[in-house]
Formats: sequence, C-alpha cells, structure tokens
Amino acid sequence: MHLKQDRMTSRERMNALFSGQVPDRVPLGAMSTGFNTRNAGHTVADAYKDPEKSFTAMQWTTEQYGWDPIPQYAGHTVLGAWDFGGKVRMPQGEYEGALVVTEYPVKTEQDVEKLVLPDPRTAGRIPEALRFARLQADNDLPVYFFSRSPFTMAANIAGIDRFLRWTMKRTELCEHLLRLSLDHIFNVLAIWVDTFGAHRVFAWMSSPTESNQLVSPRIVKKFALPYHIEYHRRLGELGVKRFGFHICGEQNLNLPLLAEACPWAHPSVLSFGHEVDLETAAQHFPRDIIFGNIEPAVIQTGTPETVYALCRAAIEKGRQAPGGFILGPGCGLPVAAPPVNVYAMTRAVHDFGWYV
Amino acid sequence: MDVAQKAALLKQLHDAVVDMDEEKTPRLCQEALAAGIDAYTAIMEGLAAGMDTVGRFYEEKEYFVPELLLCSDAMYAGLEVLRPHVKVGEHAAAGKIIMGVVEGDIHDIGKTLVKTMFEAAGWEIHDLGKDVKLERFAETLRDTAADVVALSALMTTSMMAMPKAIDMLKAVSPDVIVLVGGAPLNAEIAERYGADGYAPDAIAAVETATRLVTKAA
Amino acid sequence: MHPMTSRERTKAILAEKPVDRIPHFPFILGFCARNLGLPITTIYRDAEKSFAAQQMTFEQYGVDWGPIYGYASYGTWEFGGEIEMPSGNYQQAPAHKSFPVKTEADVDPLGLPDVRTAGCLPIAMAFSRLQESHGTPISVVLGGNFTIAGNICAVEKLCRWMIKKPELAHRILRLATDHILQIVGHWVDTFGADRVIPQFWEPLAANRIISPRQFKQFVLPYLVETGERIRELGVRHVLHHICGDQNANLPFWAEVPMGELGLCSFGEEIDIERAIEVLGEKAIMIGNVDPSLLLTGTPDAIYERCRQAIEKGKRAPRGFMFSAGCELPPETPGYHLHVVQKALDRFGAMQQP
Repeated sequence: MHLKQDRMTSRERMNALFSGQVPDRVPLGAMSTGFNTRNAGHTVADAYKDPEKSFTAMQWTTEQYGWDPIPQYAGHTVLGAWDFGGKVRMPQGEYEGALVVTEYPVKTEQDVEKLVLPDPRTAGRIPEALRFARLQADNDLPVYFFSRSPFTMAANIAGIDRFLRWTMKRTELCEHLLRLSLDHIFNVLAIWVDTFGAHRVFAWMSSPTESNQLVSPRIVKKFALPYHIEYHRRLGELGVKRFGFHICGEQNLNLPLLAEACPWAHPSVLSFGHEVDLETAAQHFPRDIIFGNIEPAVIQTGTPETVYALCRAAIEKGRQAPGGFILGPGCGLPVAAPPVNVYAMTRAVHDFGWYV
Repeated sequence: MDVAQKAALLKQLHDAVVDMDEEKTPRLCQEALAAGIDAYTAIMEGLAAGMDTVGRFYEEKEYFVPELLLCSDAMYAGLEVLRPHVKVGEHAAAGKIIMGVVEGDIHDIGKTLVKTMFEAAGWEIHDLGKDVKLERFAETLRDTAADVVALSALMTTSMMAMPKAIDMLKAVSPDVIVLVGGAPLNAEIAERYGADGYAPDAIAAVETATRLVTKAA
Repeated sequence: MHPMTSRERTKAILAEKPVDRIPHFPFILGFCARNLGLPITTIYRDAEKSFAAQQMTFEQYGVDWGPIYGYASYGTWEFGGEIEMPSGNYQQAPAHKSFPVKTEADVDPLGLPDVRTAGCLPIAMAFSRLQESHGTPISVVLGGNFTIAGNICAVEKLCRWMIKKPELAHRILRLATDHILQIVGHWVDTFGADRVIPQFWEPLAANRIISPRQFKQFVLPYLVETGERIRELGVRHVLHHICGDQNANLPFWAEVPMGELGLCSFGEEIDIERAIEVLGEKAIMIGNVDPSLLLTGTPDAIYERCRQAIEKGKRAPRGFMFSAGCELPPETPGYHLHVVQKALDRFGAMQQP
C-alpha cells in the first residue's frame, strides 16, 4: 500500500498515549488471532496450538495492515474450563474460529468443592502462552497476559447456565469459584512477572459474561466488581503498570458502576463493542484510553465502503476522547473477515486518523 | 514359426506401437496369437517393450504428447486383442494402483499418460477419472487394497486438496504408497503434503512406484 | 517526488516513457474474490462485481494495469459446448464440461459464433465497458488460436488429429483464428483501435504438450496471420501469455507480429534473460514468479525470487512488468502478495527524469 508515512513507531505512539501526549495518528489495534494465521497460510487452530506460527503470522499481518501491537495475544493465557480440568478442543472446519469447550470441570455442586488450584506452569495452554510471551519479549514487544475476568472465568469453569443459576440460588458456590479464578490468575501472573519483569507485562482482561445481555448490574456489583477491585489491588502490588480491559458486549448498564469504582490505574485501555457508544464510553472514563468499536459482524459481512464509513465515524468520535483513542474492532477480529474489509480500517486511519 | 521368426514378429509389434499404428498393431497381435506366441509374452515383449521405447523418446524430447497419445491408442488396440487370451492367475500384476485427478480439476492428459505407462508395465489399474471427490479415493482403497494411489493435479488450487486426500488414504491404510504429480507440484511440496513420492512425468511415475513398492515389500 | 498513480505508470510503460517503479501486471483473478469474501465464480459471472473486486484488491496490494476478464477454457462455451463455473473448495476457474466437437463428423458443420452473444462474450463486453469508463486498458482476453482450438475439440483429440488427420486440426484452427479476428474487430469497432489491447493465453502450445515442430506447423502460421490482421486494424499492442515451458518455441514467437510494441508474459519455466534475448526488442517483458511458490513458499523465498525476477527484467530494453508466471492461486496467503509488493517497492525503483 502506498499511504502516508507514519511519523512515530508503534512504541512511540503507545508511549505517547500512556503519557497523555498526542501521538502522530490514531493507533490501530486488531484483537486478531485466527485471521493472522490464515493470512500467513496456516490454519485457525495454529493460532492457538503453535505459538511460533501464531507469533510470526501476527507480526507479518501487523506489518501488512499497519496495526499497532495493542493487544497481541494468541488466545487466553489462563482459561477457566481448560485449566481446571475440563476438556477443550481446537477449532475445526470452516465455521469455527475459537477453542470449543467439550466438557466443563464442574458439572455438579459437589464438583465445586473438589476443585483445586491448577499448576500455574502446566495447566491448560499456559506453556504455549509462555512460549508466545517469550517471543514477544525477545522481539521487544509488550508481554501480554490475557485472562478473562474472574466472573467470566468462574462461569467458564461451571458452564454459564449453571453458574448464572447459582448466582441466584447457591451464591457460596459462585464465591468459591470466583476466589479460585482470581487466585489462579495471580499464580500465573506471578510467573509472568518473575520471568519478564513487571515493567514488561501488559495485563489484558475481557468480561463477556458480565454483559447485560446475560446479567443485571446488580449481579455485576455483587459478584464481579469486588473481584475487579481485588484484581487491581494485587496487580498494583505486583508492579504491573499497563492494563487493558475488553468490556465485551452490551454493558451500558454496568458503566456507571465501573466508572464509580474505576479500580484500575490510569490511563488504562478500555475496549468497547459496538453496543457502547464511544462518546458515552469517553464520558464515563475520561482518564482512560478508549479502544473500539467497529462491529465484527459488519467487518465480516459488510462492504468495504461500510466498514470504511464506520471507521471514519468512530475516528471522528473517538479522537475527542480526553484520555486518548485507539481504533479497533468491537471484539475479536473475525477469522473469516474479508481482507479487503480489514484493509478498509487501515485506509480509514490513514485518511482520517492524523492528529497534526 | 521358429524362434527367430517369433522374435521378428514381436519386434514388428514393438515397432507398430512406436509408429503409432492403430490398425497394424492389433493385426500383428492376431498374427502373434496365430503363431502360437503366448499372449502375455506378446504384451510384455511386444506392446510394453514398444511403450518403453516410446517413454525413452518422450524423455529425449523426440516424442511429445500427441505421439504418446497415439502410441497408447495403438497399445490399447493391441491389448484388446491379447488380453482375453492371457491365462488368468498365471501372471501376477506388477502391482495394484488407484489413480485419479483430484476434486476440482478436470485436466487429465497427464493422468491418461501415466495410466498408459502403468498398463504397459503390467499393473492392475483402477482409474477413477477426473474431478474425483476425495472420499472416493479412500473408498476405492478400502475396496481394492491397492499398493499405490496416484493423485494428479494441474492447478495450484486443486493441489491443495492433496494433503486432505493423503490423510484420508493413510487413515484407511497407513502402508499405502501415495504418489503425486502434476505441473504445480514438486518433490518438496509433495513431501510437505505427506506423499511418499513425486514423479515429474509418466515414465518416472512407473519407476518411482515400482521402487517404492519393492522397498516396502 | 510523488509516486506515480497506477494509471500513470501503465500509460508510461505503454508509451515507452520512464516509470517510477516496475509495474505489477495482474494475473490475479480468483484471489480477488477471496479477498472480498465472494465466491470465485463471481469473477467470471458478474462483470461489475468482478471489476470492483479486482480494483479494490489491486489498490490494496499496489497492483497496476487494471482489472481483466478471461479464462483459459475460453472457446468451449462460445462454440456450443458447456463449461462449469468454479465451485467448491478446489476449483479456481471455469472448466470444460462438454466440448462442441466430439467426433470427426462434428468438425465440418461447425460455424463461427456470434461475437455479440456467444458464451461469455456479453460479460466480457460489459467488463470492457467498465475498463473504458475507468480509464484502464481494454484488454479483451482470449485463448490463443491453438488453445481455443483445443478448447473446441479437447486437446487430446487435437493432438491426435495433428498427426493423423491434419486437415481436421487445420479446420478447427481456421475457425479459432477467424473467431479471434471477429472479436478483436468487434472490440475495435466499439472502443477504437488505440484503446484495445488483445490478450492471448496459449497454455496448450507448451512443449509439455506439443513439439516445436508441431508449434511451427500448427500454431505459428495462425499466430502470424492473426498478428498481421490485428495490426492492419490499427491495434498498437498485443499481449501474448506464453504459458508453461515454451523455451523451444521462443524463436518462433519472435516471428509473431505483436503491434508497434508487444507484451509477452512468461511462466517461471522460461528464464527472463532468455526471453529478453529472443523477444526483448519487440515487446515489454512480463513475468514470472512461480505461482506454486507464491502459494506455498516462505516469505523469504518469495521475496528473493521476486528480487531476481525484477533485477533480470529491469534490463528488458523496451520495458518490464512484474507478474506471477500464471494465475495467482486464489488461496495464496495475503501476506505473500504483500511480500511481492515489498519486493517491488524495494527493488523495482526506476530512475525518473
């Protein structure tokens, strides 16, 4: 592509954002895994099971589309179902883009008591995640640590429908699972910090199960929020400075709660789906960097012109955010997104995203 | 007819194939039978020998596809006469091979030439044709217990079906030998796809298959 | 210095004026459909969508020239046979389903199709109108004479008849030639001789199939006649895609008229240096990285191969455009085409005045 030349490196751009300076242009994040491996001629499954292929594909695709490395991960570092003894399989066929839980560790109430904290070095795909993290460190990139929120992880251990019933009927089981989830996150995060140094680690979290399509703000306040608060206290104690939070799905009703609590250090990156208006997000979180929010379904099924127009509108809104703005998809970049639509996002940044 | 005369007749048969003579070849085959020459001998020392020479001419770039097609027409015309007279069970086939052009590809000249050379070399052939669904290769392997499966593709797109086909074949029979060939392929891609061998042309295909089957035995 | 636009670069190379960098000539069809998430058949069935898909993809990857319409099986449908549009996971282009000529008896009654209505020609014409309105070369793509003949009766039959019944082969080649001339004439009448650049793809004349002697006897006379008649129409440029291993045919290609300035594109089987020796004085050279490498190779290997092709091609006295050696496989990883673009940016710079 022959577009305008950047005046900053990605690192300079991100540092500018985190220090409250104006970067050369709106950064472009992708939240992409399987799209990258397919772009490099591999399979979607390779994104999860082959850290080297996944990392290389990610760098190539980042280079090709002019992305900034925010975030860069190949799947979650810690996974509720898998780490706690359930069964998971790789995506297969042409219609799957992510890991699939085939058996939950907790199927009955009795199973909850039997759960033990997993081995933080060997559970689930932690070894692969560590290999991926080493590649990031060796290549002078932030070392990402990606977990779901304790609430989402707890639901993933028991299965969403079971867990959500327990939030009504067996709250103590939920609390037990939440505690185990948070402690497991930090057992593994401690390894990341020991291995790479707190200053290199960029903690990233997503909270899809806290979406108001599933739960009320009351449930979020009761079950999720206390663990967010503890998470950030412990994150601070570890010395990890950079945090990103993918506030996934329809979470408008949760925003006041989160804005009031605001337990994370500032600025953090707050990523939103298309369900949350960027102006609303900026109003609630003026001290944080807003990331989003192009609807993935539109990236997958829309025309390049539609994607371009959405990006333009998002840039025009987002660049007003007092804490800073990163353009990106509203959730993971669909693995089957037509490449020309992904290119439309890049084009939009290069056409409209310059600050000077 | 004495030995020398029989030898001369077989040489004429060889020449008729090399000369692409579709009328003369079957006529000479009839003569060979009438002279008491064993049908199998006439096939191997007349027709097949002729195709060996044709193969050499092709390697030396004297013969090209048009010549090969016509030589094979002559050979098949002769086979039609001789085959019914071959004593059943007396001569084992050199091997059993399934061949076809993979799903999505209708270019079959190469496969046709490969078939001719395997026929000439005395193999039992199961030709599935062109644009063959991948499952059909596996089903046929199950039904025939063939030694070799030869997959052909001319297009870079259709060659991408080969890794999946090879996995399916090895799942049916881990010991089956899979050969691949066609313009976009080479030995390195073949190896990456999991094939046991690659052949750049029809003549090499027979040599490679024979070598691999012998090695496995 | 501002980089040239794609249109400026294409115009400059056809006028033998300096270009800022080696242009990238598109042999990229099904890939464009995949790039937009469309079925490959769109490229061949729908002129507007095909044009748009190619245009957007070319902009994304820095490809020059402009969208084209055509496929290697051209002729089957037009002369009354059937083709199948690509479907499923492994088909990349239209393919023959049944040939117009199945027996010797079918040859004599065979007539010339109506170039306004036969086969894909209405789609091709709609496509060319888009080329005209967008200011890109109006490059009507047809098989070469021999390839069209092979698409009429099946190449195996043509091969046999060349030796056993040459009069049948010649009859079909005659029809193919007259058909080509009618189409080019129709395009010239519609768009003007100075806008039309006929493109002829000749995969069936490769030495993998026929000998140089057979080329001389059955291909060359028709190519020469076609070239001369097209020149008489006032057409300035003719493009021949000399597909596959045609090394032994190259000296014959040198005899084929290709307009004031021809264009010759080659597969990876022909060394560009050799092509320049034989054809460099009469044509822009185009080529020639192996499509299999673009599909399955490592980025480093692709980058290096592109570098080699560019360094060799730059020496072509009448100009050079980079291209894949044959159609880019639709499943080529996007990053691989990006690597091609990087190589062109890095090694393809040319001196501007």
